[in-house]
Amino acid sequence: MKPLLSRKSSKKVGDFATVLPALLFLGVFVYYPVVQVVRISFTNWNLINDSYKYVGLKNWIWLFEGSGTKYLLNSLKVTFLYTLGELFVTIIGGMILAVIFNKLAKSFSIMRALVFLPKYIAMSSAAVVFLWILNTDNGILNYFIMKMGGTKVNWLGDKNRALLSILMLTGWRTIGYGMMIYLAAMRGISTNYYEAASIDGASKWTQFTRITLPLLSPTTLFLFVTTFISAMKVFQSVDVLTSGGPYRSTEVIVYMIYKYAMEDFRMDRASTVAVFFFIILLIITATTMKISNRSVNYDV
Amino acid sequence: MKKSLLLILSLLVVCSLAFAAGSGEKAQAPAAKISYEVTEPITIEWWHALEQQYWPLVDEIVGGFNNSNDLITVEAKYIGNYATVNENLVAAHAANSGVPAITVANTPYVAEYGKGGLTEDLTPYIKATGYDIDDFGEGMLVASAYEGKQVSLPFLISTQVMYYNKTMADKEGITIPAKFADMETFLKKATKKDASGTTTRWGTIVPGWDQWYFETFYLNNGVKIVNDDRMTTDLGGKASVAVTKQLQDYMNKGYAYWAAGTSASSTMRQNFLDGKAFSVIHTSSLYNLYTDLADFEVGMAWLPAGDTKKSEIGGSVILIPAKNDQKVKNAAWVFLQYLVGKEVNMRWADGSGYMPTRNSVLTTQEGEDFLKRKPAFKTIFDNLDEINPRIQHAGWNQLATIWKSNLDQIMLENTNVESQLKVMAEEINEVLADSE
Repeated sequence: MKPLLSRKSSKKVGDFATVLPALLFLGVFVYYPVVQVVRISFTNWNLINDSYKYVGLKNWIWLFEGSGTKYLLNSLKVTFLYTLGELFVTIIGGMILAVIFNKLAKSFSIMRALVFLPKYIAMSSAAVVFLWILNTDNGILNYFIMKMGGTKVNWLGDKNRALLSILMLTGWRTIGYGMMIYLAAMRGISTNYYEAASIDGASKWTQFTRITLPLLSPTTLFLFVTTFISAMKVFQSVDVLTSGGPYRSTEVIVYMIYKYAMEDFRMDRASTVAVFFFIILLIITATTMKISNRSVNYDV
Repeated sequence: MKKSLLLILSLLVVCSLAFAAGSGEKAQAPAAKISYEVTEPITIEWWHALEQQYWPLVDEIVGGFNNSNDLITVEAKYIGNYATVNENLVAAHAANSGVPAITVANTPYVAEYGKGGLTEDLTPYIKATGYDIDDFGEGMLVASAYEGKQVSLPFLISTQVMYYNKTMADKEGITIPAKFADMETFLKKATKKDASGTTTRWGTIVPGWDQWYFETFYLNNGVKIVNDDRMTTDLGGKASVAVTKQLQDYMNKGYAYWAAGTSASSTMRQNFLDGKAFSVIHTSSLYNLYTDLADFEVGMAWLPAGDTKKSEIGGSVILIPAKNDQKVKNAAWVFLQYLVGKEVNMRWADGSGYMPTRNSVLTTQEGEDFLKRKPAFKTIFDNLDEINPRIQHAGWNQLATIWKSNLDQIMLENTNVESQLKVMAEEINEVLADSE
């Protein structure tokens, strides 16, 4: 009897059946909410009302031509600044620490673990501790600054320092993570390259820039993409430390979305910002991946 | 990559249009005759925002209800502060899942909840069970109603006051001014500076983290925060500019500081307790906390008045979310009556810093006895008629966010008051018109 499906088709059905549960999961918990958010951005839904009306492009006009524009631009600026800061700490800081710890003896492994440990402390708990460390009047950081003859610093209440203060917490948490990833990658680079370079008379710096850095590029790309996306979505540290203040100087995009939805009950506006943010992330990630395909060295 | 991107975006648009084709309106079923009786055993959840120091009192009061009621068992659940309760409640309401049988809510949310249909209209319950609400203060009832519907009832009520260090005041002969115009003289006297001109003791601290605290300075000096047309604000007008300039001047002279930011409340309280501030503006509900922690006598004064000396109701109301089964609502209504009942209310008032809500307490011997236990509350009892409901507008929270943010900038960065308030008012006008 002839089989209902050819061998090739049967394999395809089997493959599809294998991924179907994951697809269903993604469909329900990722794609359906995304579609809903797009839909809400064309309504006047305020989260409390069961009924709503379609308002066309009203929310988009508010975002690009109304009072929302200045807040969107501000939030974009704050988000990108924060992202740059986190990328710098994770990639540059992580690499420097990795180079240092790579040279140190195994007895320093406890120190390495201590640097890595903060990554596994819940962000909300760490943020509450930093809230007190950075307190202007009663914080321990200002206590030490004053002990050394300095003056009190308004870490969280000054618009020029608030974002930096959040980055201090971020750096404390992520630098160890960057270090561990780089350390693992460095240990995977064959020593043959360095031996050959030494024979050719290459200095340590040349070895680092010509061998280590290029061969770390896939790791750097991985850290860049993952850190970039997580940094763009920063929320908890901002919520606990500054609530987006003072006067919106730390209002990152996700916090802006949260505020419109949960404090102002403007789910329509929150969704509009969310959709716009989704598109931005999509474009940036796609561009990064495209550029990286050309410049990343996968030979180890 | 371009094709993939286009495909994803096209899919999103198509799906959104498909949804858009559906109707956003839901049809209302005709109302059936409802019974408000509790006829079978039921367990209900009560969400509250009373912090840990009040949990023994919560347990005692809820335990009292559970022991005296055969059919209803109440489980009290601490959710967090009022903002957290709001987030959880609104999310549960939107998801149509996990709403509590009964919950507290901060007073400014009443209008939005009422307009959006989140709350059950209690009027039929009051009528059906003959519950007497006339004993509540009139302003409190108005504050817990929306467009004539009693969508909640007053629960833990407070108002804005000025706490001051009475020990210092008696020693230095300083009195809290009755008029806003006399604030500068008072602040000059109450502020201490060192030889370099740096403030070592602030005359007062103005909470900038919640507009409720500075709102009355504006209202009492002739500013209409929401105009009668409900679509515009007077916050950019002359009276508002004058009040703002006055406040900014206090900050510039080092007489006061603007408490803004996430830990502003606890820092302000600590500065007062450490003697670094002569006075602070805060909520009357924290009276017990201040007196428990201070190693000096704490005085409580009415906020300095302008043309009027109004204050506004703060604290929380209690409500039944509409998206509950009728059985749950009936049980919640029984518990609600117990929670806001006169006896239980007095236990709340004694055990916390909240005010008694009943006229029959405020104006009788019971009130006199309460004042013997908490003499500082005399200033509130003397001004009961001045305590008003809060401004109700569906765009109120948006207005408050914009106002706070702008005043933060004016006070902390010393920016130009006129120009900043003008731009701010335009933005608020847009929000008010869009929300009404």
